Amino acid sequence: MTSTIKHASDIIVGFAGMTHLGIVSAASVAAKGFKTIGYDSDSQLVGRLSAGQPPIEEPDLDELLRANGARQAFTNDLSRLAECDIVYISYDVPTDDRGQSDLSPIVGIIEAVAKALRPDGILVILCQVPPGFTRGVRAVPPERLYYQVETLVFGRAMARALHPERTIIGCADPDAPLEPRYEALLSAFGCPLIPMSYESAELCKIAINCCLVSSISVANTLAELCENIGAEWSEIVPALKLDARIGPSAYLSPGLGIAGGNLERDLATVIALSERFETDAGIVRAWIDNSRRRRDWVRRTIMTALLREKPEATIAVWGLAYKENTHSVKNSPSVATIMGLPETRFVAHDPVVRASAISHARLTGVDSPLAALEGADALMILTPWPAYRRVGVEEIARTMRGRIVIDPYRLLDPRAAAAAGLDYYTLGSRHNPSAGIL
Amino acid sequence: MAPARVVVIGGSGFVGGALCRRIARAQIPVLAITRQQIDLLADGAEKQLRAILQPGDAVVAAAARAPCRSLDMLVENVKMTRAMVAALKDAAPSHVINISSDAVYADEPVPIDEETPTAPGTLHGAMHLAREIAFRSDISAPLTIVRPTLLYGLEDPHNGYGPNRFRRLAAAGENIAVFGAGEERRDHVWIDDLAEILFRILTRRSIGVLNVATGEVHSFRALAEAVAGASRRKVAVEETPRVGPMPHNGYRPFDIEATRAAFPDFAYAPTIATVAKLQTFAEQ
Repeated sequence: MTSTIKHASDIIVGFAGMTHLGIVSAASVAAKGFKTIGYDSDSQLVGRLSAGQPPIEEPDLDELLRANGARQAFTNDLSRLAECDIVYISYDVPTDDRGQSDLSPIVGIIEAVAKALRPDGILVILCQVPPGFTRGVRAVPPERLYYQVETLVFGRAMARALHPERTIIGCADPDAPLEPRYEALLSAFGCPLIPMSYESAELCKIAINCCLVSSISVANTLAELCENIGAEWSEIVPALKLDARIGPSAYLSPGLGIAGGNLERDLATVIALSERFETDAGIVRAWIDNSRRRRDWVRRTIMTALLREKPEATIAVWGLAYKENTHSVKNSPSVATIMGLPETRFVAHDPVVRASAISHARLTGVDSPLAALEGADALMILTPWPAYRRVGVEEIARTMRGRIVIDPYRLLDPRAAAAAGLDYYTLGSRHNPSAGIL
Repeated sequence: MAPARVVVIGGSGFVGGALCRRIARAQIPVLAITRQQIDLLADGAEKQLRAILQPGDAVVAAAARAPCRSLDMLVENVKMTRAMVAALKDAAPSHVINISSDAVYADEPVPIDEETPTAPGTLHGAMHLAREIAFRSDISAPLTIVRPTLLYGLEDPHNGYGPNRFRRLAAAGENIAVFGAGEERRDHVWIDDLAEILFRILTRRSIGVLNVATGEVHSFRALAEAVAGASRRKVAVEETPRVGPMPHNGYRPFDIEATRAAFPDFAYAPTIATVAKLQTFAEQ
């Protein structure tokens, strides 16, 4: 008979691709006591990770890498994945400007990893692939091939990886028991395991993101109305969250459209599938239109409030990353706003992103938020980094030349800003100087 | 993968006590929860237990009213299980071990292993199977189910037929009575061996189902002779007329290949020699 007991301490877990997803996932698996091997072909990256210097910013990641110590190995030798019971494919799937995935690199990586895999090795596709992809993989037999839905949230990645709400697993046969070693690994996270068919899991990831986008779109649509009729979105949200059908964790903060790339990719996938199967995706197109409109809110506001009259103005920008606690600028509303104003002079600060990463002829970077305000006619706070909350409105008013503050994420207190003599603009608020009166 | 802390529910019992001593010997923090601290039959027991548990604890469920011989005892065991499961459900333990029993299996013509279908024929077995199912379905932490067969050891509280009763009779200078000719052959496990296996399961976070049995079968007569031979008192082994059929048809062997595969460096104490050694030790 075969042993029915598995020692978690003996299970070795590999990760092919030391991307943001791969680094975070490997660190969380090692934190649960498993030995991990992180593979990447980039020897410089492997060197940095081995030295405990990850190239990404995530709260608690550095400490976790230190605490994991020898349990986490990094290598640029693909053959070392043969030591692993389970290997995750954690490379990013590249997307173009329209959110279309290019799957060819992932196909190549899966084939290469499958060759390195030991005969009883399990392959888990962790990167997001469109419905139908996993069942088409032939390099590994279906009983040793899984698709696991990733729930990476930039800036909160470690917390979510260590304490997932549930794990969604795509299987060749969802009624068959999970491979014991894979189950032993997943059960270490102490959350419900939800096996389903490959296709369901692939679409489940998209479904989650569609629900998020729909909430964001509701918030954005009605917040814009608030700005014009004298209502206050921040007063409305608590009432919505107390409705059990909406819930306390609903995504109801208005923002500058959908950012980060993954949500757009999913919307593009749904539209592509709907065209192929002739199903309705009108609502998805509406979400995209809504997102584009709201992304331009800052540009429209600064144009109206300042640049039409004073095109030579200098504008301070706080934040370049697409959201707080991340170095990513992919689809960043801040960068989109700056690039949409090619003639404007900007002085930018971001705790992590260097201004030199943005190719704008009239953008310069500074080392502190206050330095960006020197001589500025307006301030735009475009990434909600916590540090910006700690700068007092009086200090902002004292340091900058102009009075205009555009703070879409409401990091500052609107009343305090008005009291300090600032012309304060934020999303979903009747306090905007330009708000219409019914 | 040694846990930061082990919590043993039923820590003063036969199994729980032996396990606590083994864990303490390795200098791993261990918390024994006894009936005096938390009565799992009392209302609000799950809240009391939940308040004690910390995220990351490894928890061993070794509390039961056993052997379960009546419907009332079955109800009590279900209530205790409900309290343990409710407390564990949202406590985020790193590992949970449920101490079950080989009573979940019926008798088989071939040696029992972990893949033998569960088909209990007694309330005691039904209780343990219900408890296993409850743990499996409601706890999402890594779970190990351990099914020991007959246990013996100096601290045994039950005085059941076998080494435990034989030892006490011999120590008191009384002859050892066996049923019939004592011909039933069963597998007996020394409590310290169970504690050692549980310790290894905890430190390697082993997950799944494991029977705890030596793989040897010995007749009750041979065990009685070993006890009598090791005793300083002059005691004899007496046969008594057998009433009713022999439990398990007098033969219940185990295939322990899963244990060998999981813990190749572990060996059970030889039963006859250990029973004799314990007799000598107890009488000293």
